[in-house]
Amino acid sequence: MRDAAASAMAPLRLVAARRRWDLPGALMAVVIAIVTGLLIYGAADTSGFLTVSNLKAILTATSLVGIISVGMTAIMISGNLFSLSVGQTAAVTATMFLYALRVDLTVAIAAGIALGLGIGAVQGGIVGFLGANTIIITIGAGLLQEGLATWMTNGNSVVPPSGSSSYTHLALPLFGVPFAIYVFFAVAIVAEFVLRKTRFGRQLYLMGENRSAAHAAGLPTALLTTGAFALAGACTGLAGVLIGAASANGSLLLEGTYTYDAIAATLVGGNAVGGGRGSVARTVVGALFIATISDLLLLRGYSTGIQILVKGIIVAVVVVLTNLRRGR
Amino acid sequence: MKLAGPLRAAIRRVSAPYAILILMVAVLAVLPAVSHYSVTATNVYDVLQNFASLGLVALALGTTMIAGEFDLSVTSMYLLGAMVAVLTGAPSPVAGVLLALAVALGVGLIQGGVIAGLRLNSMPVTLGGYLILLGTTYILGHNQTVTYANYSVGLRLDQPILSIFSIRSFVSIGIFAVAALVMAYTRVGRDIHAIGGDRRASRIAGVRVARVVIGVFVASALMTALAGALLGYSLSTASPTIAVNQLTFAATAALLGGVSLAGGRGSPLGIAAGVLTLSIIQELLGILGAASYVQSLVTGGVLVAVASVQGLPAALARMRSLTAWRRPAAPPSSTAADA
Amino acid sequence: MSTRSHPQDGPPTPFVEVEGLTKSYGAIQALRDVSLSIPAGEVHGVCGHNGAGKSTLVKCLVGLTRPDSGVIRVDGQAVHLHGPQDAQSHGIAIVDQELSLVPALSVEDNIFLGGIDVPMRHHRSALRRRARDLLDSLGLSHVPLNAPVERLLIGERQLVEVARLLARDARLLILDEPTATLSTTEIERVFAAVRELVAQGRSVIFVSHRLGEVFEICHRVTVFRDGERVATHAIGELDRPALVKLMLGEMEGAPSVTPIEDHHSARTVAMRIGHLNVPGRVRDFSLTVHRGEIVGLAGQVGSGASEVLRALGGLIPGATGACEVAGRPARLRRPMAAVEAGVLYVPSDRQGEGLFLHKPVEQNLTVIRLRWISRFGLLLGRRSRALATELAARVDVARDRLGAPAAELSGGNQQKVLLGRVLARSGTAVLALDEPTRGVDVGGRGDIHRLIRDETRTGIAVIFSSTELDEVLDLADTVVTMFEGSIVSIVPRAQANSASVLEDMTTRRAPAETVPA
Repeated sequence: MRDAAASAMAPLRLVAARRRWDLPGALMAVVIAIVTGLLIYGAADTSGFLTVSNLKAILTATSLVGIISVGMTAIMISGNLFSLSVGQTAAVTATMFLYALRVDLTVAIAAGIALGLGIGAVQGGIVGFLGANTIIITIGAGLLQEGLATWMTNGNSVVPPSGSSSYTHLALPLFGVPFAIYVFFAVAIVAEFVLRKTRFGRQLYLMGENRSAAHAAGLPTALLTTGAFALAGACTGLAGVLIGAASANGSLLLEGTYTYDAIAATLVGGNAVGGGRGSVARTVVGALFIATISDLLLLRGYSTGIQILVKGIIVAVVVVLTNLRRGR
Repeated sequence: MKLAGPLRAAIRRVSAPYAILILMVAVLAVLPAVSHYSVTATNVYDVLQNFASLGLVALALGTTMIAGEFDLSVTSMYLLGAMVAVLTGAPSPVAGVLLALAVALGVGLIQGGVIAGLRLNSMPVTLGGYLILLGTTYILGHNQTVTYANYSVGLRLDQPILSIFSIRSFVSIGIFAVAALVMAYTRVGRDIHAIGGDRRASRIAGVRVARVVIGVFVASALMTALAGALLGYSLSTASPTIAVNQLTFAATAALLGGVSLAGGRGSPLGIAAGVLTLSIIQELLGILGAASYVQSLVTGGVLVAVASVQGLPAALARMRSLTAWRRPAAPPSSTAADA
Repeated sequence: MSTRSHPQDGPPTPFVEVEGLTKSYGAIQALRDVSLSIPAGEVHGVCGHNGAGKSTLVKCLVGLTRPDSGVIRVDGQAVHLHGPQDAQSHGIAIVDQELSLVPALSVEDNIFLGGIDVPMRHHRSALRRRARDLLDSLGLSHVPLNAPVERLLIGERQLVEVARLLARDARLLILDEPTATLSTTEIERVFAAVRELVAQGRSVIFVSHRLGEVFEICHRVTVFRDGERVATHAIGELDRPALVKLMLGEMEGAPSVTPIEDHHSARTVAMRIGHLNVPGRVRDFSLTVHRGEIVGLAGQVGSGASEVLRALGGLIPGATGACEVAGRPARLRRPMAAVEAGVLYVPSDRQGEGLFLHKPVEQNLTVIRLRWISRFGLLLGRRSRALATELAARVDVARDRLGAPAAELSGGNQQKVLLGRVLARSGTAVLALDEPTRGVDVGGRGDIHRLIRDETRTGIAVIFSSTELDEVLDLADTVVTMFEGSIVSIVPRAQANSASVLEDMTTRRAPAETVPA
């Protein structure tokens, strides 16, 4: 009886195993080919692109956004879309870092990262335990951070204490390569390991894939959401430390376009918006891709507007393509 | 009177927003009596001007939220609307507005079409849209602030009528009224609520979900662009970097107005109440001479608080369950299964 | 669209015809070459077990799914139905078995939701009167038109759904399990409405598990099995046993998995549930389950059986009551707490709440035991694989499928994976299985029943729910029937027979042994 059932199932298994021809996949390949072609053409045709200093510039530009994007990846994989306040967190932690330099460099670094982690954990806690909407909470939290930062600093920018120069090492190149790049790759590798090889990471993926099922299976969904946001906050805090060290002038202006750049990098890497699928490696590729395109546009003299526009188009195209592919 | 049935029901369902609004109005009214601050018709005018500037953005975002979606692109649609109108509206202000609306129509059709047609999450799609529209605004303005030569138009739009209103605020009030009627009395309004409440059920019941979603995004873009265009005339400038925190204001006002993030709940009247409440709060802070960061703190705090409160009942139920499932006072009847 | 009436006499005109309909979902063939014709003025019964293909047929007819091949004809014209609106414009409307009401909308809005002939300005007194009349005719005169549907009881909701169908002015009405949560009087009202429609020359497809109703209202009946149409007969040509035989096919008389053992000797209590209440769903549910015992909760959709199991799984925050597992008081306030107390819940909604469809089978099998396959927070790949291999062997899922996404398995194998994750775990006292074989074919069902029975040999108790009588009678040692949130009866399997259990499942009755709350 059982054998009969098994043999009856055999052809079905074959059917299931045979991969269907994947149109969106092919489409994706075509798009990647075209973009690569354009990049190569652009690279060859743009003077100053293929120089060591420019490649370093690209890597540097990638690294700060990249570190934040790595944290954003954890949020996205956990099924909580993305945070709209990491830019503010970066600015606030950078300011905190510069302020805490009065004590000591190590303390300042720890303070920056811890503050970021705390800010992330609070937002994640509200989202996870109260079931509040990620987007709304992070928008509100962004405004609150701006308000609090202005209040604490009386609207003045924070500069490192005079005579302190230890922090400049964080902004200086090491073996000819900016320090932030080492940090970026280290963070990426650690984060990828955490996501792939630890129980926490496995749980994040499972929750992102199907939150109800994760809940029913007894996974601590609220805590996991808090954890994902805390991880993102810590990454942002670390980036904030590097940003602060590079600018030596802490204010909300440091917020820049980090929020949207980080989201763009995460999306362009092809991580599933709904969660459950994706990787830090994808995000790294996304961040590098966006930085390269921006650099190329800049070198060719295109305006801010074109750069933003191109970023937007890339995000839109990738979102549509990845979702077609995954049939979400 | 007979018509008022559904409207009354709608009002009853979202009464909290009105209560908060009445409270804020009371505070505004009582303030001169209990302090040395004075409240004048100008303050009321300011509130209504703010309503004119940001009310429609809140209505746009709120409508997408009622339908269970979220339009992040309102921020830059607003700026683009202003830019298009200011750039093209010098000879004829009406033509400028129409052109801005035409652009918005295209934007709404594309965004709505992509979201509905491919059944995508609206957040990432409208995030891409946000960037594209922002970039376009920069390009159109050549990365600069563009001025509108026809100052008189702005002056006329903002000229006080009956000391508290203006043409601009009348336009917003009128559109809110139309939206309230549409949402309360027509099939379209009911369908928007339905797809936000339960999309699967709506589809099986026969609602053409895709059309409604597209319509909602078109409406959102149109209302936002209109508000932006009028603001552009009013300020006589357009720029890709006017920082008025449209998104935060709109989201806060919509939530204050009883729109549910889960979709399916909310009404234009509630959103109007939310917008007015938030405008009064800002005006009060202005009267009291509070620093600008206090505005940020208050708005951000209100937003986080309202968004958290929506999840509170469920969270409280979970807390209650900490006490549930406890050892019984008397052991359960052991006869039950021994029949 | 046309509203011409059909001749009542003479040869019946086929109004809707289906020819060679075939549909498969991945590896599962849901419909194979099905043909059917429905003349005007006929009530056509459709019978078959879960997964027999009834639902897929219905979905094709209302345009929710497009068939892989085959033709649907209305009035002899081949039609392509792209959605419920299309189906409506051809005069086809449905009451879905999973309700399609929008909870936040009012009763009136729900009745007219999605109707193609509803005018733009739809709050009109004429429409309101029509809705009122429909509700009154279905016995809902106490329900105000502007009440949000979420405030109604489940049975009332079902009647509102029927009211929507009646408001549609359709020529073919599909009722997919319309009576699951209704009482006898309510069912009579629905039937009266159906008979009136038929008298007007309209046709009805009536999908039901309840054979009594099929015999009462249908003119002809078609039986499905494993996606195929087995037979179509005029109702007069059949009697109940014959119909059952058609539905069961070869499997008829398959013996229950094991002889029921004598549990009266040395019965140790595995779990005591006392006065469990779930607001609006379950009233004062008390039960004692013994080690090695299988308790079946028999009840229709909405009976509360499912909610009892969800509460045991820690999934209903508002549940109150007491629970004792293996002699220790257990507070099942969260799923994690339930797992720690030794109560493992398996949800009925395999795809929505059970499996991680895009994750490999291995991850699905080990999800409850992540702690066990990791040390200091690090996953141990070898241990995970060993555990998954063992469980896969236990539930008879091929080992080479461990790396494949769960979505690629057949329904039966998916269900086995879902069950597998709770098996063979030390510390488990009770398995709470919500509809353990929903949507699984007959062969798979036998396998799953065997697995459940095997698991109890180690002393684990099982409490499961089912809306299918046969399943309860096949598997349970003790049959608990529920109706509208309360226990109607608790009887040992030996004393239960289909007629009595069915009666209890569908009859409102004063709860016998429970203390009024």
